[in-house]
Amino acid sequence: MAIRNYDRKKCNGCGICVACCPMDVLRIDTAAKKAVIQYPKDCVACWGCESFCPQGCFDVSPERGRGELVSPY
Amino acid sequence: MNNTDKLGTVIKSDVLVLGAGGAGMCAALKAKESNVDVLLIDKCGIGWNGQVPIGGGILAYVYPEYAKKWAENVTRQSNFFNNQDWTFAFGNYMHKSTMDLAAMGLTFLKNKGDINILNWGPNIYVTLFDAPKSLVALKKTAKARGVKMMDKIYAIDLLKNDGRVVGAVGLGLVDGKTYLFNAKAVIIATGNCGYMHEKTYSSVLGEGPAMGYRAGAQLVNAEFGSSYVWGIKTLGKELMGIHFYLYLENARGEKIMGKHYPELMVGKHSVYTFDPRVIDAMQKEVKAGLGPIYLNLMGLSDAEVAGLAEDRVEGLTQLMANDTMKLLREKAGINPSKERMEMWARYLYGGGGLRIDINGKTTLDGLYAAGSASSNSWSGGGGGQGGLGVQSAAVTGFVAGENAAKYAGENSRLDINVEQAKGMIDRVLNPMKHKGDVDAAEVAYRVHEAVVPMKYNRQREASRMKEALGIVQDARNKLSRVQPRDFHDLARYHSADSMVIAAEFTYSAALMREESRAGHFREDFPQRDDKNWFKWITIEQRDGAPLLATLPVPVENYRWKP
Repeated sequence: MAIRNYDRKKCNGCGICVACCPMDVLRIDTAAKKAVIQYPKDCVACWGCESFCPQGCFDVSPERGRGELVSPY
Repeated sequence: MNNTDKLGTVIKSDVLVLGAGGAGMCAALKAKESNVDVLLIDKCGIGWNGQVPIGGGILAYVYPEYAKKWAENVTRQSNFFNNQDWTFAFGNYMHKSTMDLAAMGLTFLKNKGDINILNWGPNIYVTLFDAPKSLVALKKTAKARGVKMMDKIYAIDLLKNDGRVVGAVGLGLVDGKTYLFNAKAVIIATGNCGYMHEKTYSSVLGEGPAMGYRAGAQLVNAEFGSSYVWGIKTLGKELMGIHFYLYLENARGEKIMGKHYPELMVGKHSVYTFDPRVIDAMQKEVKAGLGPIYLNLMGLSDAEVAGLAEDRVEGLTQLMANDTMKLLREKAGINPSKERMEMWARYLYGGGGLRIDINGKTTLDGLYAAGSASSNSWSGGGGGQGGLGVQSAAVTGFVAGENAAKYAGENSRLDINVEQAKGMIDRVLNPMKHKGDVDAAEVAYRVHEAVVPMKYNRQREASRMKEALGIVQDARNKLSRVQPRDFHDLARYHSADSMVIAAEFTYSAALMREESRAGHFREDFPQRDDKNWFKWITIEQRDGAPLLATLPVPVENYRWKP
């Protein structure tokens, strides 16, 4: 999957990852006050969560949940 | 409860802004200055969405006293193919929009209390701003000034009554509800189409131009704007810096730039990440079976690497390169001084957008557009300079916001036409009835196969583009076999649909334009042809199908003539 690692322990529930995700992959578990990966396969590797998470919870890889990137060549 | 309320949750405003990125935020803030009721919606969470926060934080700037000369230069660079009225207005607006953005809370790099205006080249200036926090800052101001906002609403279609745009249909991504927005004026600021292929433009999927098209608005310049930059594959990111090109090598370890552009190896050259010569060299090597291409910085010290990023823009690219190196080490686990990095040509963006006039108005009453969802032909292929994308978003946003608010002030509200709204909602929800086992991601992948390869989209040629259109048609066929399971899936279905439309329009217009000009290169028509093609290509819906037409560049009415 594109989000290859999510450190739930570090998550403080600020919701920035949920806000910046263009594919609605991430949601907030309001009871636990933690982000959850609701639709892992829909990640398009935009690196938004990894770039903006103030706690550094996310590690994103370029491979998508579905399929490799099409080569430009 | 009236008939409209039965169709979904109805929300009224004077001005409705679709998309809260740079352009939409500026439009909402400017509209609010006219003291109208403004509602801003976005499919993401407002503050962290769109292209601006993830971009480089560069804003183009033109000194007011130089604006006229700037516009003339752009006009000459574009061989008079631009909309000079817009170019002139844009040049003049840049100083004001920069000051407005600062007053609205955008944090600029400052020097002794003043915005630091950096010299990029002869008469080319930029300012730097805090990109990641930019929209958070503007959101705070918008909220304080009374702009209403709704997050995670996916706008899909426009509502019309009596030929006028009166609102939009949206899906709530969190609650699954259908929303009917009723407004006196609507601004589309949802970006163009980045096809969710690479970082930076993943969130813009062509929804705005597609919904404008379905409502009857005209699009323009769909054949322009497709672009490639070279970047680090594993990071999905370009590497800013003007001397890195010297260290590109093929799979055999041979330096590639000297092979194809020996003149670049003598003396000092500034070869940026978007330089087409690098893409050319990479493509030639891969075609010859010598790929993949690597950036080999092994053995270089940190100081030497920083030196490669050296630039005349007062350390700007150096800063960006350092940032990338840090990302490589800390996030990707790559040590650039110990291993080589695979590089590839990153396909960025589809072009064109909703045609707007000097007031930001589209060809439909009540409908305005801003940012990359709109096309005002200001550049015509000229004016290559960092930070123009963000500045264009700001200026078109301010212009559309001001004029949409004026329109809302002068016109009374038209209610939602229940029959039309019902038809729109049926269209939006209908895919739920599809039967099939195709996932929307497979449709997107098929579209990528048509738009990403350079043989289709960079070196364009009639038979290959027809092949690409065949792939797009196949994607459309696949779309009819996508059966969304829930509203989240339904939103992905509509994203895939708008990407198919964007790709169709790009190739249809590119096939029509039998010449080469600006970013549009035809192998079968390699020359610019002003005799037959000094005109813009427009697209609009006619009898349910796209009709392509041409619009001569009205150069006789403009300031500067060829």
